[in-house]
Amino acid sequence: MVVDMDTSEIAVELTEAENELYDRQIRLWGLESQKRLRTAKILIAGLCGLGAEITKNIILSGVNSVKLLDDKNVTEEDFCSQFLAPRESLNTNRAEASLTRARALNPMVNISADHEPLKEKASEFFGQFDVVVVNGATNEELLRIDTICRDLGVKFIATDVWGTFGFYFASLQKHSYVEDVIKHKVVANSEKKKKYETVSIPTQRDVEYPGYSAWLDFDVTEPSYLRKLKRNGPGVLLLSVLQKFRATHKRDPSYKTREADLELLRGIRDELLPNSILGDEALGLIFAQISPAVAVVGGVVAQEVIKVVTKLEAPHRNLFVFDPETCAGYVEAIEAK
Amino acid sequence: MFSNTCTGGVTFFGFSVSQFCNFISKIRKRKTYIQKMAAAINGVFPATLQELVKKSKVLVVGAGGIGCEVLKNLVLSGFTDIEIIDLDTIDLSNLNRQFLFHREHVGKSKARVAKESALSFNPDAKITAYHDSVTSTDYGVNFFKKFDLVLSALDNRAARNHVNRMCLNADVPLIESGTAGYNGQVELIKRGLTQCYECTPKDKQRSFPGCTIRNTPSEPIHCIVWAKHLFNQLFGESLEDEDISPDAADPDAKEKDGADGNGEPKDDGKEKGEESKEEKEAKEDTANGNILRINTRQWAKDCNYDAGKLFNKFFNEDITYLLRMSNLWKTRKAPVPVQWDTLLPEGSSGDQKDVAKQHHKVWSIEECAQVFANSLKELSAAFLKLEGDDTLAWDKDDQPAMDFVAACANVRSHIFDIERKSRFEIKSMAGNIIPAIATTNAITAGISVMRAFKVLEAKWEQCKAVYARLRPNARNYFLVPDASLPGPNPNCHVCASDPAITLKIDTKRMRIKELRDEVLVKTLNMLNPDVTVQSNGSILISSEEGETESNEGKLLSELNIVDGVILKCDDFFQNYELSIIISHFDAERDENLFEVVADASQLKPKDEQTEVVKDKEDEPKSAKKRSANGEGDSKDDGPSTSKRSRPTEVVEEDDDDCLVIEEDEDQADVVVVATDKLSVQSPPKSGSKRKPSEVIEDEDITEILESSDDEPAGPTKCKRSRLDDPSSNPVAVISID
Repeated sequence: MVVDMDTSEIAVELTEAENELYDRQIRLWGLESQKRLRTAKILIAGLCGLGAEITKNIILSGVNSVKLLDDKNVTEEDFCSQFLAPRESLNTNRAEASLTRARALNPMVNISADHEPLKEKASEFFGQFDVVVVNGATNEELLRIDTICRDLGVKFIATDVWGTFGFYFASLQKHSYVEDVIKHKVVANSEKKKKYETVSIPTQRDVEYPGYSAWLDFDVTEPSYLRKLKRNGPGVLLLSVLQKFRATHKRDPSYKTREADLELLRGIRDELLPNSILGDEALGLIFAQISPAVAVVGGVVAQEVIKVVTKLEAPHRNLFVFDPETCAGYVEAIEAK
Repeated sequence: MFSNTCTGGVTFFGFSVSQFCNFISKIRKRKTYIQKMAAAINGVFPATLQELVKKSKVLVVGAGGIGCEVLKNLVLSGFTDIEIIDLDTIDLSNLNRQFLFHREHVGKSKARVAKESALSFNPDAKITAYHDSVTSTDYGVNFFKKFDLVLSALDNRAARNHVNRMCLNADVPLIESGTAGYNGQVELIKRGLTQCYECTPKDKQRSFPGCTIRNTPSEPIHCIVWAKHLFNQLFGESLEDEDISPDAADPDAKEKDGADGNGEPKDDGKEKGEESKEEKEAKEDTANGNILRINTRQWAKDCNYDAGKLFNKFFNEDITYLLRMSNLWKTRKAPVPVQWDTLLPEGSSGDQKDVAKQHHKVWSIEECAQVFANSLKELSAAFLKLEGDDTLAWDKDDQPAMDFVAACANVRSHIFDIERKSRFEIKSMAGNIIPAIATTNAITAGISVMRAFKVLEAKWEQCKAVYARLRPNARNYFLVPDASLPGPNPNCHVCASDPAITLKIDTKRMRIKELRDEVLVKTLNMLNPDVTVQSNGSILISSEEGETESNEGKLLSELNIVDGVILKCDDFFQNYELSIIISHFDAERDENLFEVVADASQLKPKDEQTEVVKDKEDEPKSAKKRSANGEGDSKDDGPSTSKRSRPTEVVEEDDDDCLVIEEDEDQADVVVVATDKLSVQSPPKSGSKRKPSEVIEDEDITEILESSDDEPAGPTKCKRSRLDDPSSNPVAVISID
């Protein structure tokens, strides 16, 4: 049966084994969604801890295939959250090191690894997938891939976690989905008991999601945004600082050079927006990738992928920020300029 | 690649490259000591947090959907001293989210397999696994006191109540979590600082009066409950109150010209006094329930489990009998008996097996009869193989048992003109299945461990409850922290200094045994209570076996436990004392015989409440229930308002993860939706604006029905309502514009 899965894309009914394995989720999102998941092909680029979490959740959901792409090797830092790579795999390719455990999660999903650099992947590579999820890339690279994906009609999600802080940006182009609008109706109003009935009306909606350039064009220091920044906390500002660091230094802040990098981060912050609400304490929590935060962001991103694939429920539009101090997760709508 | 891991407590790391390399090379030679998880690598965490993580001892209660995720997060974060407990074993349907388990682990202990899998992530961690119930007396207050922190990831309210009480007793912070579908919740419970798990009323468990089940079903769930009872009558442990035959004592039937036990219409008085004959019979039924039931069981056996005979008895003769209770059908649509021969005229057989496998199809009545016959054959064969008094246990995952219930429920629905359901849907209801997905569990467990960091740092104010939702609220938050950390409810029946509840109870119909089993144990989650009457100190119920046996069969009123009496209950193991103020009421036909009112002040007892002084213990205590993680029975009727009488309730157990829900703003409606028909109470909206008036939510959620697979579903737990600050709705506070 596992072998059959390759060609089962068009199979209409789920097998008995699938019905059993996916029972608890079919009860949530329905058979139709499960069938759609079964045909989905997903690319996860960047097998850091966050990549591992997303991979785990996507594989468990029962998609058709997942490709793990990464040209980097496993480092000790990965052991803070990358549970798919065993310890013995230190210094070997991260995607390949993750294969065995990834496959064990769900034998019904086709899982493969690719160790070529993301940079060298051209248009036709991305065209194989329904959803492309990239983490750990620079803005420049993310923009390139987003452009390719938009040309091809492939849904694109950029995401990252630094320490306990994380975000994702969803570039879904024009996306159609169905959501149930539920209304309460009083059907009987007898003596003491009011009887209610809920009527749910599946409603189709079409929403346009701007490209990644909308985020690159976004100016967090714009006065019109400052008030919001105050209300929601410094997340968006922190994201800008961290991405600037990555662009400038061609790497992320490292715990190995903790104090020095904190100094650099403070510099970027103050240059971007002096006297902001982004305190030093928040900067102290952005090293490596911390497991529970990665679990939250990885869970959210995977759920977005599932929403996209099943066309059920609205994907958040379009910038998600996880604030580790409060554990708030919120969405900013970043519009194209 | 550099491996700059340090061992032990070195907290400072120099930057000089030569120094650094030197150091590294030394370390490399001592590989076995290298620890690589977050807290073991200097510089990843701020130094103080790093130390706290390394030295803390934590307990994870539950190794299901959330528990697996929590355990992973803990070991990867660098916790090295972890204990985990779960009494459950791994089921195939767990594998879509409990990622520490694989196919080859099905049937094994969750706690043990979780431990092994987690160790592969961090071999340096020390994990102790208990394949056991957390409510076992092996895990007393001293056990809990060993930990710096307890993270609970349970799927049923009884175990949650118990862990809540134990942590309050031991004064150990508890991070409580739960999920149901797309919803998740994490909250801190700390003695004296926050609300405890039992400070706010939880949604009631849905239960159904016996006569609704036996005589006048009107919803599919009534027929499903009846079908489960039928299973138990024939093959299972016969429980009291699970009679499936027509109930001649139905007050509705006698109102004017009810039927008596012989089925002859007869004019019965409506006065209480005159009902005594039926009442008596009903009581006898209850008292002698076992005998009657064994008769049904014996009769079926004597018939050789002939499908036609059994079918006609349950779906024809009994229905015909019901029809004679004509009063019942004056305002209701009368049932229409069905006859075996007309459905399956002899030569049955055929593709019967395949019918039962069509889980998503609504079977025709003929197909139901077919499935009935097949499942009956399988079940009776299995039953006859049992030794002695052994019985079968109904399990939604046992194919013939589930087929049997689905078929019987549908036949009965057909008879009463109630919508029939697919086997898939019936399984949800019969098994109280709460849907569960990997992502919600991952998010919730992640938040749980994020909160654990704050707890270790004693940053209590930053430990506000967090709710995970499918759709963003008006402020565009879908992981929503509470606006405040609500303090303890001074009237909590558990954590108040001198806890008391009011018990509305029909003292003329409830017996002492029921008071103990249904109220104290099942509803209030005590393990083995002692009960005395406050005014004279007489012992009503003793934890010593046999000591008060003679009281058991007596009605409360017979022992002078009437309106206004105060009972003092004490559960030794739980170190839990509670005063119960009796408030008598005459239960109506479709009412439960008792209801617990958590906040005693809601009802004014005749006696002054202040009298209920007891020695104070300032804490609440711990408590009970026997089925801890999951299994067992998970009844969840919350203490607070729970009810149930001789009931028949649905609940059962099931799976794993779960819980929760509740809360905030827009979502509140949603939750209500989930609960659905039951009681729709509108969520407290304190001034927050909510979107339109339509509530949107995944319809599947609605299907969940209240209860759970895992925990009660629905809305299980209600958001902690802030007793003191009505305006603290998260949204209200956060949203400024």
